[in-house]
Amino acid sequence: MTRLVVIGNGMVGSRFTADLLAADHAGRYTIDHFSAEAGHPYNRVLLSDVVSGTRDLTAIGMPQASDPRLTVHPGVAVKAIDREDRVVVTGDGRRTRYDQLVLATGAHARVPALDGLPSSGDLPRGVRTLRTIDDARGLTAACVNAQRAVVLGAGVLGLEVACGLARRGVRVTIVHPKATMMERQLDATAGSALEATLRELAIEVRPGIAASGVLLDGDDAVRAVTLADGTQLPCDVLVIAAGAVPDIALARRSGLATDHGVVVSEMLQSPDDSRVFAIGDCAQPPEGGSGLVAQGWSQARRLVSRLTGASPAPDAPAADDIVRLKAPGLDVVTMGVCGVARPDLPGHRRLSVSDPGIGRHIELVLHDGALVGATCIGAGRLASQLLTTYSLRTPLPGDPLALLLDRSAFAGGASATTTAGVVCKCNSVTHDHLERAIDEGARDLDALADRTRAGTGCGSCRDDLCALLASRTQAVAAVKAI
Amino acid sequence: MPGTPRPAASAATHCPYCALQCAMRLTAATGLTVQARDFPTNGGGLCQKGWRSAGVVTAPDRLTRPLLRGNGGELVPVSWEVALDHIAATIREMQREHGKDTVAVFGGGGLTNEKAYQLGKFARLALGTRFVDYNGRFCMSSAAAGANRAFGLDRGLPFPLADLGGADAILLLGSNPAETMPPFVRHLAPVRGRGGLIVVDPRRSATAALTEDGSGLHLAPRPGTDLALLLGMLHLLLAERLIDRAYVEARTEGFEEVAASVGPWWPERVEQVCGVPVMDLQSAVRRLAAAAPVHGGRGAYILTGRGVEQSSQGAATVTAAINCALALGLPGRIGSGYGALTGQGNGQGGREHGQKADQLPGYRSIEDPAARAYVAGVWGVDPEVIPGKGVPAVELLRRLGTSGGPRALLVHGSNVVVSAPNAERVTARLRALDLLVVADVVPSETARLADVVLPVTQWAEEDGTMTNLEGRILRRRKAIEPPGEARSELWIWAELAARLGAPSTWPTQPAAVYTELAEASRGGAADYSGLTHDLIDATEATGHGCYWPIPHAPDPTAVPEGGHGTPRPFLDGFPRPGGRALCVPVSYAEPADNVRAEAPLYLTTGRLLHHYQSGAQTRRVAELVAAAPEPFVALHPVLADAYDIAEGDLVAVTTGRGTAYVRAKVTADQRPDTLFMPFHWAGLGSANRLTSDRTDPVCGMPDFKVCAASITRVSAPVPELEVSL
Repeated sequence: MTRLVVIGNGMVGSRFTADLLAADHAGRYTIDHFSAEAGHPYNRVLLSDVVSGTRDLTAIGMPQASDPRLTVHPGVAVKAIDREDRVVVTGDGRRTRYDQLVLATGAHARVPALDGLPSSGDLPRGVRTLRTIDDARGLTAACVNAQRAVVLGAGVLGLEVACGLARRGVRVTIVHPKATMMERQLDATAGSALEATLRELAIEVRPGIAASGVLLDGDDAVRAVTLADGTQLPCDVLVIAAGAVPDIALARRSGLATDHGVVVSEMLQSPDDSRVFAIGDCAQPPEGGSGLVAQGWSQARRLVSRLTGASPAPDAPAADDIVRLKAPGLDVVTMGVCGVARPDLPGHRRLSVSDPGIGRHIELVLHDGALVGATCIGAGRLASQLLTTYSLRTPLPGDPLALLLDRSAFAGGASATTTAGVVCKCNSVTHDHLERAIDEGARDLDALADRTRAGTGCGSCRDDLCALLASRTQAVAAVKAI
Repeated sequence: MPGTPRPAASAATHCPYCALQCAMRLTAATGLTVQARDFPTNGGGLCQKGWRSAGVVTAPDRLTRPLLRGNGGELVPVSWEVALDHIAATIREMQREHGKDTVAVFGGGGLTNEKAYQLGKFARLALGTRFVDYNGRFCMSSAAAGANRAFGLDRGLPFPLADLGGADAILLLGSNPAETMPPFVRHLAPVRGRGGLIVVDPRRSATAALTEDGSGLHLAPRPGTDLALLLGMLHLLLAERLIDRAYVEARTEGFEEVAASVGPWWPERVEQVCGVPVMDLQSAVRRLAAAAPVHGGRGAYILTGRGVEQSSQGAATVTAAINCALALGLPGRIGSGYGALTGQGNGQGGREHGQKADQLPGYRSIEDPAARAYVAGVWGVDPEVIPGKGVPAVELLRRLGTSGGPRALLVHGSNVVVSAPNAERVTARLRALDLLVVADVVPSETARLADVVLPVTQWAEEDGTMTNLEGRILRRRKAIEPPGEARSELWIWAELAARLGAPSTWPTQPAAVYTELAEASRGGAADYSGLTHDLIDATEATGHGCYWPIPHAPDPTAVPEGGHGTPRPFLDGFPRPGGRALCVPVSYAEPADNVRAEAPLYLTTGRLLHHYQSGAQTRRVAELVAAAPEPFVALHPVLADAYDIAEGDLVAVTTGRGTAYVRAKVTADQRPDTLFMPFHWAGLGSANRLTSDRTDPVCGMPDFKVCAASITRVSAPVPELEVSL
């Protein structure tokens, strides 16, 4: 029997536990799962939907495994790890032994140093981050009477929150220190297409300038944000969306190697302790953490397969670098090679359609007959098609321009299910057959059906038959009149 | 002379092909002529297969004499006496040496109820084998498992077909009725008029095209991801608060667990997994919900077909579809519901009367001691005589001729060499047998491998009953005498039963077999006991259908609501403990045989309008062959361009099972990552040389609809190919 302790019951931790229980057919494991948060696991990705009001808090639950082998400790934070004795110590002083330990402690919101913000402790009223279900609750409440909001940071979360608040009727300004918004995913041209769309949504955009401070009123509530150039942006809500910081305090206290995150090998194992693993946002694997849930879930799957010896359950073809904004009114999808800092490798072909003024910019990066990256702004359904083309490495057409054309634009090739000239498919009756039948005296639908069987199957060609009857009968009459 | 007509005979019967069982009149004068009959299911319509069905009667190679493989290896005509004696003697000897289970039976979903019943009885009593299963395993096993588990009853459509016309929305998942049962499409006309037809199919099939011009919506997910799409639909129903809470509380159990289980399926993730745009998923879900009674709609239906069911996660997919239907409060309400569109002619009745590995007549479990005792009583035998549960079709085929596996096989109404997955392996297994007996009307590819071929009657030459996709029991009526020495299977089994010294009685008249079937089904889920052939005739004359369960004799003079028996079985509750439907959480897995560098494309398979199943019948009708002469692979212009393939080129399609050679059809109706092949042909162009025989752990359904493939143009001439194509 192996005693496994898991710390952190977020999207990755809860998934790991469920997958492990499912894969552990031999029943070798018992699990103690600790979670600092008291409630059920929930879907962090959907918190911005709660802010925008497109779904409520009850609609972001994630499944919680239930199994005799599993003990969940909700609301119980682990304070220390005694690696020598192989126990975790919780706030109430209880010690739980482990044979293997998985850290899935996640990350917390990064709060930049700003004049007027306390360096630790609670944020002033009206200032919010969005990382937990409590944050979402608080931010939603703060918006009820808000007129103006400033969002610091134009990454994925910042943009989703900005659009969500705008949807609630709040006037929103986005402040972003970099010249290009979503610069990890977008280059300058793409960024300008995004800006155009945001302007359409009446969201003000202030790229290329950092916030320097926060002004509070007498009640210690935010009243404005100061920018580096001295501009003041009045607001009653300030949302800080400046990225996340892995939660590594526990690991560091326990003497495990940490950098940005908990350092782990390709096998997700700590270099200091072969019994300790880290997955999700708290982990720092050799390739670096993306902050995307797809990466964390893939790590959970790999770790389960490593611990249980089971072959990994087949997962969607690997693509954990897809970013898709789910902000009402914004249509932004990126994958693979994209963004300001993308490598411009020889052999990379780039193909783009750009109409930034109306909020459209599509760029494909091709290499060796495969799509290795794409940036889609305002691309509609094309983006979904490119998603599977990218993640499945679907073969590309000789001329990749075809990828950008709408499916209906491919006029080439006969349809597999229709044959030229066939009017009634169910009975393979062609236009010629029908004309002949009409000429031979079939002057209504019944007569035509008797003679040719057209229209006697699914019946969907009956309108066509009526039209043909009318035009042919007229033509015959006209000819006879001559 | 095949199909010698009785003078001026005329019979009101039904089409020999699919489960819609269109009504037709056969008149035998100078040859056999077909007329469509007005009937609630087909409204006087027929497709070209039906109109041309007389062509199968006059197939030039119709089997008219028993054939026995001679010492020279060729099949030679023999008398019935010789053929039956040979079969019985061989079976006796093999069973003496290797035990009863050395003989296996493979049935078919096209057999009449009487034959399906008698075949199961023959396997259990005359052969004493537990190894009996049938090709319906390839059709309806996922739907059956899903419906049984959720509702406690598997009746394909638990409502009359005509009910569909009143709905505001129909979600049709993995079904292409515009090609597979064209007159069905008439029932979709009203919902199309309201813009409510939602078709889920990776291809722009003829049915998907029916959604165009404002008639509805087509979602084209990546093959194998239907289950993820359905989980995403339920997620959205929950997120947008569109659930029928009152219904869920009053009529279901287990919903909360299911609701929690779809948490990870938010729309943007579904888009990445399935390739279905978020906006399309949303439109579909909202349109469906708006049609539900809870939101004031006229009604909504969710219907599944083989496209989503023929998967190694088919039972889970059906369950996910049912969960959506339950969330919207559809099943068990007039004007709404969930249903599976049964495929084969008697695909419904064929799965009720005991030719399934785990089943006794009346849809009873062969492992239920009470069911065994009851059926044994009807058969006049000790319950101990009835063998236990066998194995599902794919497993059965896989064991043939292997050490410890069956060494003899009797095939009735199936052409497994063409219709089973991984067909090359199936052929090898059949060749490894010591005795293969095939009863068929024509020398099908499977019959050609047989040691004994038995010529049997076909639809126009026999009486019996069929149960259509609605659970309506129909009469098949004889119009002509069978040709030559062709005989009904009922007679064959009676003869063999006598030679094998079987207990019980073996009637050969369909009406008499029906009477016994009715008694054996009494009290079972599929209870047919209220009917006789005469009563079905009498009720049909008054225009009212008979739907099972029908435990009491109908009064033909009555005017029943919806029909006699049970036209809508779930109105007053579900036949489960407590009367509630069960919501079962299910999880999605990627296709087992997924795309990879050496097999970068998906292959999916399906039917064409002009052919039926393995093509054994339709490939013998000149007009149908002219319309659809040969197998092909359809691919998107982008792929054609990438692989330098032009329309009509000969290409090789390869999967982990083998290679097929076919002509290319270039069409934008395909996803650019997906190939499509129709499965009606044998030989080098056979789609099932390529399909995977991995099966669903719940129901044994194989993975017909998704596997990974590669495609190349064949530039050098291949002499053997030219011959076979």
